[in-house]
Amino acid sequence: MTVAMEGGASSRQARLLAKTREKALSEEKAILDWLRTREDYRPNWEYFLELLADRRIETIEARCQRKAIRLLCNQTPLELIWAFGFQPVKIVCGSLAESAYSAREWPALMCPLIKGILTSLELDPDLANGSWVTPTSCDWVVKFWEISQKVKPGSGTVKFLELPHLKQRPESQKRWLEEIKALNLYLAQLKGKKIDRHKLIEAIQALNRAWMAIIELKKARLEGRLSLSWFLAIIGTFFFDRLDRWTSQVESLIEDLTEKRFSGVKVFLAGSPIFFPNFKLPALMEEAGLMVVADDLCSAERIFPGGQVFEDTSEWGLLASLAGRYHQGCLCPTFGDNERRVHNILAQQQEAQILGVVFVVLKGCHPYDLESSTIESTLKDRGLRFLRLETDYATEDRQNLFTRLEAFGHSLAGV
Amino acid sequence: MAIKAGFDLGSTAVKVILTEDEKILWSGHSPTAPGQEALAKSLMAKGLSELGLQSDSVSQVAATGYGKGLVGLAERRIDEIQANALGLFKLSGGGARHIINIGGQDIKLIHLDERGRVSDFKMNDKCAAGTGRFFELVARLLDTPIAEFARLSQEASQEITLNSTCVVFAESEMVSLMAKGAGNGDIIKALHASVARRVAAMLARADLSFGVWLDGGPALNQGLVRALEDELLTEVFVLDNPQFTVAYGAALSLN
Repeated sequence: MTVAMEGGASSRQARLLAKTREKALSEEKAILDWLRTREDYRPNWEYFLELLADRRIETIEARCQRKAIRLLCNQTPLELIWAFGFQPVKIVCGSLAESAYSAREWPALMCPLIKGILTSLELDPDLANGSWVTPTSCDWVVKFWEISQKVKPGSGTVKFLELPHLKQRPESQKRWLEEIKALNLYLAQLKGKKIDRHKLIEAIQALNRAWMAIIELKKARLEGRLSLSWFLAIIGTFFFDRLDRWTSQVESLIEDLTEKRFSGVKVFLAGSPIFFPNFKLPALMEEAGLMVVADDLCSAERIFPGGQVFEDTSEWGLLASLAGRYHQGCLCPTFGDNERRVHNILAQQQEAQILGVVFVVLKGCHPYDLESSTIESTLKDRGLRFLRLETDYATEDRQNLFTRLEAFGHSLAGV
Repeated sequence: MAIKAGFDLGSTAVKVILTEDEKILWSGHSPTAPGQEALAKSLMAKGLSELGLQSDSVSQVAATGYGKGLVGLAERRIDEIQANALGLFKLSGGGARHIINIGGQDIKLIHLDERGRVSDFKMNDKCAAGTGRFFELVARLLDTPIAEFARLSQEASQEITLNSTCVVFAESEMVSLMAKGAGNGDIIKALHASVARRVAAMLARADLSFGVWLDGGPALNQGLVRALEDELLTEVFVLDNPQFTVAYGAALSLN
């Protein structure tokens, strides 16, 4: 009897999971179809949609011919991972179905991204295994490994990078450099050989080339040649192919972006990240006539902290410059001395003639939530208009959000 | 006559206003139901008939509210925040600087500059606590019309507090209070205080030295007005027909 009951429960779980997979695929298909049927779609951009359509670790490894290192957050130096011949893959999830599945077991006010990833571990058998590198950024990320072991006991290995949260202090910077050196050793152990300094320089140069391509994408968006939705879709594929091939595809896409196609009320988009297929906000912003010309999302412009300049080409020198950039150059709100973030918005406001800031808080994303009020008061003191939106992956608040976005646009435009 | 019509297609009511030279000639409303455009048109026809005007007297129509996209005959669609600002600023004689609009499913706080332009606004998220729906739910639970709320809250015999901000939990809390002997007046007074606290939290840092203007259907409830004054520590002004300011603003937007 007990066995039968267990069998029944397990079968029900399997059916629930299968249904979740079905719903997640349907969400993805809806957004892919929407991207394909938009006026700004070009058939030669299909490459990016294909990357979005199959993001399984197994596929990415086969595509790149490299073992994947699974990452959370943006503080791990990507160049180091490429230099060892691995493929860095930032693990994210923007699926409502996957987030909702985990909500059965985990706190309702938990970060939807983390809830989604926990379900992804069950849907993609290869995801939980392998090596994970986890900087200790927000509380949810810090606890992720522990709770992931409840979902998939005994799977994978983790290398924590203990992130010092006061990035301007010299002591913190030294501690972070030690973490990066330890990561270097960890990756050397995984690979079975020491880092090749030349490979590291090659990886830095390859990422610099990718960054130049992203700068062109940003410029295209700023000038109304590329929409916010497509910008997010393209950047969202960054980790899913070999860096050189991805960069070439972006460079080729940029050649298509000759004509100005979009206009609207210029705004800056700040706050919690937006991940495929959760394109609710980009779609609503476009519908409301808002033109996002710059952002500071860690899923978009801040996907990695820019290009790397270095003078000291010794192994130590390269590691030190990478550590500095990924730490001091990071604008994550988990830092206690993050004034640069608001300065960045103000600088971009002048450059791009931004009229207002839309700040998105993903429900449960506490660091962004906390930082929104200080950013709001600073920006308002400088005469910049600010709209704070709190939402999650659910779609039932579309009308409420649209009302606010539309009114914000109208008030900025003086309608 | 050049009549301009403003339609406000809200979540609980459709409001129509007919104006001439910014003067309100007629206003009417009806509960929201499927076929909102037809509903608004029939209200407009009723208004024209009562005014003794021809059906083609309306020169322009503007629509606002959640259903504004459904009105094919609207020459202008305006978001409800701008419409509210336009309408109330005009009707207040240019004195309004802060508006609290309590609608069927949301609360809007709108700040205006000296020219009546929207300088900032806030809206509640998904939660319906404190909105018109909340009042409707309590009315059903207490089997008491909302029109009676102001009088009953004045008859409250004890001070009680509604702690739940969630509509669903508030309902069970009210059932529990009733079981403990709380009267309808006590519960309604506590409800007003609860809504006022929620609004006050959204206005926490605003300078309300000019007082605030309350509109939307729930503004007709003087019990709520008193609770807001008590919580905000400022004057709360209410127009004669506070449920029509947004529709009026839509009509004004045609100028």
